[in-house]
Amino acid sequence: MSLDYMKFTPGFGKFMPKEYRDLVEHGPFGRKVSVSQVGTFKEILEEHPMCAGCAMTLFIRLAMISFPNPEDTITVGTAGCGRLAISQAAIPFVYGNYGDQNGVASGLSRGLRLRFGDRPKDVVVMAGDGGTADIGFAQTLHSWFRKEKFTTIMLDNEVYGNTGGQESGMTNKNQVLKMAPLGKKFEKMDMVGMAKVAGCAYVATVVPNNPRRVESVIKKAVLIAREIGPTYIQAYTSCNIEYAIPTDKVMEDAKNVENDRYRFSEYITDEAKQYLAEVYGYKEYLPKPAQALTKS
Amino acid sequence: MYLVANIDVNICAATSCKLCTQYCPEANTILYDEEAGKEKGLKYGAAYVAVDRCKGCAQCVWVCDNMAKHHAIKMEMIDQIEQAALTENIQYKEKTTKAQLTKPVPA
Repeated sequence: MSLDYMKFTPGFGKFMPKEYRDLVEHGPFGRKVSVSQVGTFKEILEEHPMCAGCAMTLFIRLAMISFPNPEDTITVGTAGCGRLAISQAAIPFVYGNYGDQNGVASGLSRGLRLRFGDRPKDVVVMAGDGGTADIGFAQTLHSWFRKEKFTTIMLDNEVYGNTGGQESGMTNKNQVLKMAPLGKKFEKMDMVGMAKVAGCAYVATVVPNNPRRVESVIKKAVLIAREIGPTYIQAYTSCNIEYAIPTDKVMEDAKNVENDRYRFSEYITDEAKQYLAEVYGYKEYLPKPAQALTKS
Repeated sequence: MYLVANIDVNICAATSCKLCTQYCPEANTILYDEEAGKEKGLKYGAAYVAVDRCKGCAQCVWVCDNMAKHHAIKMEMIDQIEQAALTENIQYKEKTTKAQLTKPVPA
C-alpha cells in the first residue's frame, strides 16, 4: 500500500527474480502510464492460468494498467475465473467468500480511510456476474445503498464458466448452455438500472474491444469513488469456452455484441462531474461558458 | 510443438500502430522496441512477441488483419521460428524495450 513495499531491501536486489527487478525498476508504480504506452513498461499483471484468448483476461489487464495509483490500490474478488488473474498482479488482492466481496470491500474501504485519512487508497472489486448479481446480489446492492466509496466492476461473461456452463442472472433470455439445455426463461438482470436507483455516482457499460475507452472508464470510476460515492462498471467479457467462440474471433464477437446489445453507456451525476473537473481537471466536465445572446 | 505469434518486423516497423500490444490478453507478452527496423531505414519501431508467454490465441492476428489491416502477424510453430524473444532476454529501458533474439527451441 505504498511505493516502499515494492522496493528491495538494500543488497537483496541482485537475488530477486528478473520479473520482480523489472517491475521495481520499470513498472507503473509512482508514475503515470497509459494504455497507449503498453509494451514499453513492465505491467503489474503476471502470468496466470486463465484460458488462451479470454476476453476477461484482456479486460483485467487493461484495468490493471488503468488504475490511477496502482501502488495505493487493493483489489477484492471472489470465486470465478477472474480471480485466477486478478490474484497474480503485484498489488494486494483480497479473496472474499463467494458473494461477500462488496461486504469485505466496505469494511476495507472504511478501515483504510480511518488509517490513512485523506491519502487516497483505492478499493476495487472485480467479480463475475455470479458473484455480483446472483450470489453476491444483496451485498452488492446494500453497499451501493450505503454509499460505500469503492468501485465495483462486474466481469460479465453471462455464464458460470468455471463450473460447466450454468445460466446466471446476467445470461440472456432463451440462451441455451451446457447446463441450461432448455434455454434461460428469464430476462437478463438490469444491474445498470439498479446501480442508478441504488445511488451509484458513476455507472458505465463497456466492452474490451476499445482499450482506451476501458482506460477512461476505469480511471473515472476509481477517482469518483475516492470522494463522491459508489461506482459501477459492467464489462462484457465473453467466455469463449462456454459460448464456443474461437479464440481468434473473440474480438470480433466483442465488436458484434457491442453493436448489438452491449453498447457503451455512461451515467455520471452532476456532483461527480464537478469533482472530476475541479480536482482532476477533466475538461469535458468543466462548466460551459454561457452562450452569447444572439440578437433577434 | 505448438503455435505462437510471430510479427514481421518489416511490415510492423513501417506502420507502428501498436494495436496488437493493446489487445493481447496476456500481460508483458507483446512488447515494443522503438529501435527495431531502423537499421533498415524503416521509420518506426516494431512490436515483438515474448514467445514463452504467448498462449497462441491468435487474437493479435485478427486485430492486425481486420482492425489495423497490416497483416504483419502469423501463427507459426515455435520450432520453425529462427529468432524470437524470451522473457529472460528482454531488457526494459526508459521508454522502450530491447530483446536479444535467440532460437526459441534448441535444435
